[in-house]
Amino acid sequence: MAHQAHAYHMVDPSPWPLTGAVAALLLTSGTAIWMHFNSLVLMTLGLVLLLLTMYQWWRDIIREGTFQGHHTPPVQKGLRYGMILFITSEVFFFLGFFWAFYHSSLAPTPELGGCWPPTGITTLDPFEVPLLNTAVLLASGVTVTWAHHSIMEGQRKQAIQSLTLTILLGFYFTFLQAMEYFEAPFTIADGVYGSTFFVATGFHGLHVIIGSTFLAVCLLRQVQFHFTSEHHFGFEAAAWYWHFVDVVWLFLYISIYWWGS
Amino acid sequence: MSSATLAARRVLAAAASHAAEEGGARTWKILTFVLAFPGVGVCMANAYMKMQHHSHHQPEFVPYSHLRIRTKKFPWGDGNHSLFHNPHANALPDGFESSEH
Repeated sequence: MAHQAHAYHMVDPSPWPLTGAVAALLLTSGTAIWMHFNSLVLMTLGLVLLLLTMYQWWRDIIREGTFQGHHTPPVQKGLRYGMILFITSEVFFFLGFFWAFYHSSLAPTPELGGCWPPTGITTLDPFEVPLLNTAVLLASGVTVTWAHHSIMEGQRKQAIQSLTLTILLGFYFTFLQAMEYFEAPFTIADGVYGSTFFVATGFHGLHVIIGSTFLAVCLLRQVQFHFTSEHHFGFEAAAWYWHFVDVVWLFLYISIYWWGS
Repeated sequence: MSSATLAARRVLAAAASHAAEEGGARTWKILTFVLAFPGVGVCMANAYMKMQHHSHHQPEFVPYSHLRIRTKKFPWGDGNHSLFHNPHANALPDGFESSEH
């Protein structure tokens, strides 16, 4: 029987990178087709393929790490670098939208009335629901830290409780934000104010949903005894991502909701 | 902020960072129920009370050309309504659809 003489993980051949790439192609071209030729087929196909790819690829990673022991310390270090680099790339993604917001709001054009907020725009009161949303996300940062310490101390029940609370707070944020979207006196089509507001907060909301899903997967795994007090990188990655989502919200709140009102 | 609040804050921060090394879960559990949840509760009450104070008056419609842009139709419905359209709060390019209050 052959054994490897090193601590690294030589991954078995896998079809998921290919299906993921095909899904990306179908999603992008499909969205363009939907916008111009009124057909949802390609985009829907891409979405289904993307979901299947994510489910099966990450399921395989859990099998390789948790059940087959391939995630040795050096491998875990690589995964940490990977998650850090990914979150960094997301920071730059949001930086672009903040650039767009400040570009438009620091020097408002005559078409807008030469002022910010533009003429005719009724902004949301930053001290109503947006402030509540801030408290909700900050609270979820506390609960996810409680969850991490619980896992490290082997406190199974507390870990499950705190992780559940974190996810519920995430859902509450999403619910509140959806209500705000419906009640807002302005839409995405209301000039550059609407565009910057809904694109920036919209992508943030999408990341809250992604983060909540990541945490929910961690909850399922915690219930099924996947995590040990020493080795629970999947949870740490989810917690890092969740803190990132929280920080982006703080910048959104200060810039768009408060300063921009 | 009073000096008492500032002092309390300093003590809490010191306690949190110290206790985090030993039995950190208990510290964060306490922070959850003593700080985080009451904070959310206060903000919930505040938001609710402020919402009660709102006038339900629909703002006067002015057909500004820099708002309600329709360069391209939305790819759903009649192409004239945004995704989260609210007939009471959002006017269409030619005015409000519903004229309640």
